[in-house]
Order: sequence, then structure tokens, then C-alpha cells
Amino acid sequence: MHSTESESSEQEPEFSTEATLLSEIYGFLALTMRYPSSSFLDGQFLDAYEALLQSLDWKEEYTNIQEWRAQTNDIINDLQIEYTRLFINTAQGKTIPPYASVYRDGDRSIQGKTTEKIKDFYRSCGYEVTSSTEPPDHIQHELEFLAALAGENRQEEETLFLHSLFRPWFIRFSKHSIHEARHPFYRVSIQLIDFFTKEEQ
Amino acid sequence: MAIHLSRRNFLKTASIAAASVPLSKVVAKAETGVTKAPLVPPGSFKDTNTVVGGVCEMCFWRCQLVGKVRDGRLVKIEGNPKSIDNGASICARGNAGVKLLYDPDRLKYPMKNVGKRGAPKWQRITWDEALDTCATQLKQVISKHGPEGLAIFPHGASASYPFHFFEHTVGTPNVSEASFFQCRGIRDMAYMATIEQPPGENVDMPNTKVIFLLGGHFGENVHVSHLKRYLKGLENGAKLIVVDPRFSASAAKADIWVPIRPGTDTAMLLAMMNYLIQNDKYAADFIDEYGEGFEEFAEGIKEWTLEKAAAECDIPAAQIKEVADLLAANMPNVSIHPGRHVSWNGNDFQRQRALACLTGVLGAFGVKGAFVPPIKPEGIKKVKWPHSDHDPDLLSDYSDNSYEFSPPGTPTDLIRDAAITGKPYAIKGCVIWGQNPIQTIPNQEKTIKMLEQMDFVMCTDVMPTDITMYADILLPECSYLERYDYIKTGTQWNFADKQQQYIAPRMPLVDPEFERKDGIWITNELAKRMGYGEFIPTKDQVEMVNTRLAGVGLSIDKIRAEDGIHIQPGEDPYGISEDMTVIFYNEDLEDAGYPPIPTYIAVERAPQGYMRLLYGRSPVHTFNRTQNNSWLMAAMDSTPVWLNDKVASTLGFKEGDTVSMVNQDGVKSRTTATVKVTPGIREDAVYIYHGFGSMNPELTTGYNKGIDDTSLITKLAIDPETGCHGMRNNFVKLVKVS
Repeated sequence: MHSTESESSEQEPEFSTEATLLSEIYGFLALTMRYPSSSFLDGQFLDAYEALLQSLDWKEEYTNIQEWRAQTNDIINDLQIEYTRLFINTAQGKTIPPYASVYRDGDRSIQGKTTEKIKDFYRSCGYEVTSSTEPPDHIQHELEFLAALAGENRQEEETLFLHSLFRPWFIRFSKHSIHEARHPFYRVSIQLIDFFTKEEQ
Repeated sequence: MAIHLSRRNFLKTASIAAASVPLSKVVAKAETGVTKAPLVPPGSFKDTNTVVGGVCEMCFWRCQLVGKVRDGRLVKIEGNPKSIDNGASICARGNAGVKLLYDPDRLKYPMKNVGKRGAPKWQRITWDEALDTCATQLKQVISKHGPEGLAIFPHGASASYPFHFFEHTVGTPNVSEASFFQCRGIRDMAYMATIEQPPGENVDMPNTKVIFLLGGHFGENVHVSHLKRYLKGLENGAKLIVVDPRFSASAAKADIWVPIRPGTDTAMLLAMMNYLIQNDKYAADFIDEYGEGFEEFAEGIKEWTLEKAAAECDIPAAQIKEVADLLAANMPNVSIHPGRHVSWNGNDFQRQRALACLTGVLGAFGVKGAFVPPIKPEGIKKVKWPHSDHDPDLLSDYSDNSYEFSPPGTPTDLIRDAAITGKPYAIKGCVIWGQNPIQTIPNQEKTIKMLEQMDFVMCTDVMPTDITMYADILLPECSYLERYDYIKTGTQWNFADKQQQYIAPRMPLVDPEFERKDGIWITNELAKRMGYGEFIPTKDQVEMVNTRLAGVGLSIDKIRAEDGIHIQPGEDPYGISEDMTVIFYNEDLEDAGYPPIPTYIAVERAPQGYMRLLYGRSPVHTFNRTQNNSWLMAAMDSTPVWLNDKVASTLGFKEGDTVSMVNQDGVKSRTTATVKVTPGIREDAVYIYHGFGSMNPELTTGYNKGIDDTSLITKLAIDPETGCHGMRNNFVKLVKVS
């Protein structure tokens, strides 16, 4: 049902380098962390999601996503409720705010010193967050920034950002998420982010 | 999961080819939030700017602030050095405003409840969907039940505009403000009935000879310029009398501490006045000129001998005499403090009347150290929602008691009872704006019943609270640090200094984040959708404040250029106006069937084995509103249970024991707190801070910390003149948990 065969018969894409591919993956993962909307999260999106899991040979995760798609009546509604529960407002100890500063600045604060550092890092690379309702250290924007760096093949800065400003908080965030994210979409997405941002052994 | 495969290896594999096409398509069609910008070299200097115009609302005192802002982020709040009110000083809560602003648990987006009221499951929605839903649902209630079908529970500066829309333009009279019906409304109405003006806290403490406090616990109750006035008075040598069942922070500084039996204060006041009159120690000349009905009053309180009051109040007659003599010896330069939170026992109008009369007996009006209202700037315009033609159907018209001295709005229990019973009419829509009625209104079970029977409940707030759990639609509002609204006016804090006035409109220190909106915008959008667009009195918050300031020839820009506070010459506040009257015997009260002179109404005493539950303020919290503030909770995250040392010894409690409470109706506290064993409280009472023990698990820091006193106030007492609640007529036992 969610086969990618029909897609592959279409025009071949132009991706020549690993960097471009990585940029697209970051960009895609950023979308998984954005509040779900039909403007981007549709059948095509989930087909791509499944294709990625297949490429990775993540069988169990692939099955989980397929099963959810088969049983849900309303993809967006499902994901919006789960996103709100996980990342916006939910019960004590179960909220996993997707902001670096909340994990890094000691006293659970949005717009902490870390937010400032991250903003500075973006600027030092010639980027900024615009037209967003979220702070710049929201996981979505950090992944978008990584996508931008990868798109320019700026490996050194990408590695520095991952090492110094992304992984240190993401590790704590993902630990909480694995406990709390019941929905396969978010559980798997966070695992994917982990996989693609983990430092090479 | 194929964990053996590394990212780099994966990107080199052929298998990715199948995924790459769909991925690139999906990514290409979505916008990214990260865009190219001019390069800023690392380590570039960023200045910290001082932003002026802040007006605090961590409590209602509204100190003037400046913000230290770096790159759009508020890093510190300080008192505005230009302030002639709080000056450069702010309290712990004022400092901790930063932690409210950036609390990750704060409401960020409009949400709808797709679960149940009380057990919500939230879904973020757009403002359009939220406002359309609210408008449709509220209109439905109005079309079925009339405007009276809506109940409004507002609180705070930003709630005035929306509640006036509902009250004046939509036409519901069913508005209950906690600041009136569960706090100071009784005081204001009792003083209106005695001196024809609400008193504020307008006693000239810095320049007084004696400060008389009934339950006031300054130091635990922290309002900066008020505290400055109090402390300056003490520094200048004022004597301090504190009447309180508990050895409060003020009692600790007192010359005379009167550990009175709770609920009997009026008896003491009547005995003091009777003693002063009988012994010619009263301000006879003042009363001749300004008093009304003094003879009837003097005659009517004759029964109150020192001995009779002493027996009722459980204090020595000599101490009552000592207090009265100290006041008489220093009259008229004495500060009889009117109090603020006065909804104690359901007999409170009488006590507040007695306080106002005592001020009159001592002639303590208009002179140094006495009751002296400040002369504030005049001319600030009002922006008003127009009144509709609708003649409101008042619940008080159906009540056995018409509560003729009710503060503005409708007594809370008339609204709640009508909603629960459907009589005399149905109330099916509820708008809650900045108030947490679960923790403001006694008997939570009834409040929840009221909410459960509603067709629609809308809440606007900055934080999740107990009440937001009951919303169908929950709207996120800008905090006081992100909006324009209130215009604070006043004078220099000490009347002994050069007479000055100030005008300080609240201005945002930083921009709002997420999708938080100000109350003017939310109300206007709602009004348009409900069909009241033509009545909107101002297009936005900036226009509203500028219109109001235009009345005194000022504007936001002008005041910003004056460092956030406009200061102008003031007037000497001392003196008594010619039409001043102290109404000792009030015929309007008599006509309405209430006692025309202050009258003591006894309240039930603690049953055997129980102690009266008393509550008060914590110096670092503003009730429930600061319960998730990480700095303030680090300073104080629970409420100690004050327990008399003899009682503790008899009952087997010791310092540090963890206890829960159960009240006379068998209602148990949901949570626990720790015992503080002290000789500083009477044997017949226990004391905790109000506002702890929030039941909303969305508060990561504040959930279930300490005991919620309101949950134990199940037995209702209603003040007969005002319809306000009395909240200290419940009794508890402590249950040892560990």
C-alpha cells in the first residue's frame, strides 16, 4: 500500500553528493518535529518516511508505522494530539519540551543562555530563524540549520554544532521521549534523529 | 533497528536511493524556518539594553520595573530607578517574573480539549478555530438562555476589557471577581457605608504614632511601597499593635500582640470603642463636625464592656484596655489599617464597619499618620464598552437576601447555585479570564459541578492552573511583561517627602513568543465573531493606552522618553474635605434590614478535636499564581502547618512530621505538608499558606506541592450584607503520614 515503486519510476532525482542527501534527511527530520499540518504531512510524506525506514532496514519501526497508518482514520488529528501532549502541554514529568535550553540551563527555562548561544552559532554561520513562532533552539530549527549546513557541505561547522550544541541536550531529550512517546511516529522519529546526529564511532 | 550501520556508511549505501526521491520531494515543498542572514562573527559584542515601562503583576501592587534585555531575551528585572513608589526595589516575586516569562509549562498556543473537563487531552489549534469555536458556542448559549446564561470569572488588569465586554455590551450581570467576592469587596463596601469611599490601604504609616493591624501580616504579605510605608513608620518610632491568632511577622515586631480568638474581632473593636466613649477618650470635636448617628451608635454598643469582649475574644480585658488607651493617647495620628483580604468568617462587613467607625472615634482622618488617601493624577480617560439596552435579570432579585451592599458583580454563590440547579434560570456558558476559581472559591465540589453542567467553558490565562483543566478552549495570553494595558498612577510613597504624582503605563519589556496574544486583541476578535464588532471601543492595546493618556496630554512615546514614568507636581494630601461624613448609624443599612450600627455576630467555634483552618500569605508567593515558578519554589515549595506546641505535644506531633488534613465534613487534603510546632499560634487554630497544592499535573514544578487550603474550605459562610464568602469557618484535624 505504501510502496515506493511508483515513485521510483518517476523522474530520477539529482543528488550527487552525500552532503545533499544528508541535508535532505535533516530537512525531513526537522519536519517530523514540526507541529503536524496537512500542508506538509500527507501520504507522500509518510511514504517517504517508510522508504527511509526500509532503506535503513528498520523492519520493526517500518511495521509500526505501517500498522498505525492502516488503522488511523485521521493522520493529522492523531499526530496533533500526540504532538501537543508530548511537546506543548502535558502532565508532570511527561512533558518533553523540545528546546535545548530547558535541558542545558539548569532551571528549566525557555530562552536561556543556551538559546542565545545557539542563535549566535546560527549567525556566525550566516543563518537565522525567521517567521517562526518557536525559539531558535527548538529541535525543528536546529535540524533545519543542520540541513542548511549540510547543503553547503560545511562539515566542520556541522560537526561542531552537533557536538557542542545539539547532542548534549538531545541525549537527555531522547531519553525522556523514549519513555513518553507512545505514538510510533514520534518514537521512531526521535530514533531517526538520534541515528543521523550521532557521532561516528 | 540496524544499529551496526553508521550514518556515513548508510549514506554511501545503494539502499538509500529508494528513499532519496520521496525525501527530496517532501523537503522541497516545505518551508524552512532557518534562512540566510548576514554573517555575524563569533564573539561579537551584544549590548544589554535597559527597557523601561515595565509594571509588575506578579501581584496586584504593580511596582514599576525596567528590564535588562539582551538580544531580545529578558535576562533580569529591576525596579525602575525613576519610581517614586517602589523605587529601585522589587520583591522576590518581582525578580522571579523572568521565570514566569520563560516557564516551559506556560500556555503557548490556543488549544482545544479533546478529552474531558477535569481530565483534559489537548490539541493545539489555530487562533481562527479557537475564536470561531468560542464565538459560536457563546452565541448559542446567549440565543438559548439570554446573556444571563453566561458566567464570567475574571481577574487581573488584562481581564477588565473582556469582562466589561461581556458585562456591558453582551449584557450578563453574572460576573464574579475573586478580588471582590473572596477578598476585599467587603472592606470596600463597609467603608463606603461608613465614610463613603473605598479605603484602599490608605493609612499614613510613615508619619503615624500607632499602627493598628487586624490580621495584617506585613513582611509575609509583601507589597513593596506598602511595606516601605510600614517600615518607615516603625523606624520613626510608631508603636505597633497586631491583633492576630498567630505570632506573625508583624506580631514579631509588635509592641502589643493580641492573640485573639478567630472570628471575634468585632467584639474587641466594639469594646474598645465603648470604653473610649464611656471614658471620654474619643475625638468629640471631630465627631461633632463629621459624625452622623454617633449617639445611637454609642448607645447601641454599650453592652460591650471590656470584660464581655475579653470573654468572647479569649484575651485579657486589660489588654483590650491597653490597646484602646494607646490609640487614644496618640489620636488622631493613628493608622487604623483597613486590611485587604477580609473575607474571613461571614460576619466581615460588620467588622470592617467597626474598623471604619473606630477610625472615626479616634478622629483619625486627614491628619498626619491617620487615614489619608493620596491625591492621584486626574484626567486619564476611560475606554469603555458601551452598555447594551438589555435590562439584566439579576439573580439577587430572586434571592431571599438581596445583598444590597454587594460589591460590583453578582455574589459568587448566587451564580454557582443557579448554574447547578438551573433555577431561577440556566447558566450554561462560562468565561474564565486570569482567575483560578478552583482555588479562589470555597467548596471545590460545587465549583466543579457548576463547570460540568456548562455547555461551554472558555479559559484565558498565562499558565495552566487548576481551572484550565476544565476548559473546552484554552487561550494563551501575553504576560504582563509582553503587553500594554494597565496605567498605574499614584504619589511618592511617603507623604513627608516632596509632593509628587506619577503616571506609569505598562509597556512590554519583550515581544510575546509562540502565539500568545494580548487581551484586547483576543476580546476584539471574539466580539467581531459574536456580532458585536461595531461596538469595539479601541482597535488595539497601543491605541487604548494612548487614548487614555491623551486625557492628560501624554502618550506611550512621551512616557517612554521619560524613562517609563511621568512625574508631575503633587498636592498636599492632608486635610479633611467639607463633605466628609463618618456614618456611625447607617439608615440605608437599617432600611435594607441589616444592623445600622456595627454589630458582633458570633461564629461557630472549633468542635472538639478540631482546629480552625487559618490561611495567609507567603512572602515569596502570590497564592497559586506563582506555584510553578522555579525560583520561588526553590525558595519555598510547600507550606508549613503551624501547630501550637502544647497541642502538638498532646496529640503526638513533632516538628517536621508529614501530615495530611481532614475537615469537619470528612474532606481530606489531596496532599501533605510538614508540621511547624510553635507557641506562636493559638491552640484552637492551625495555619497554612494559601495557594499551594495545585492539582494540575501540567505544572511540572508546582503540582501537588503543599496543601491546598481551599480544598478544605467546604462549609460555606456568606456575608449577609455583601454576599461575599467567609473562608475561615472550617475546621481540620491533622493526620500523621510519616
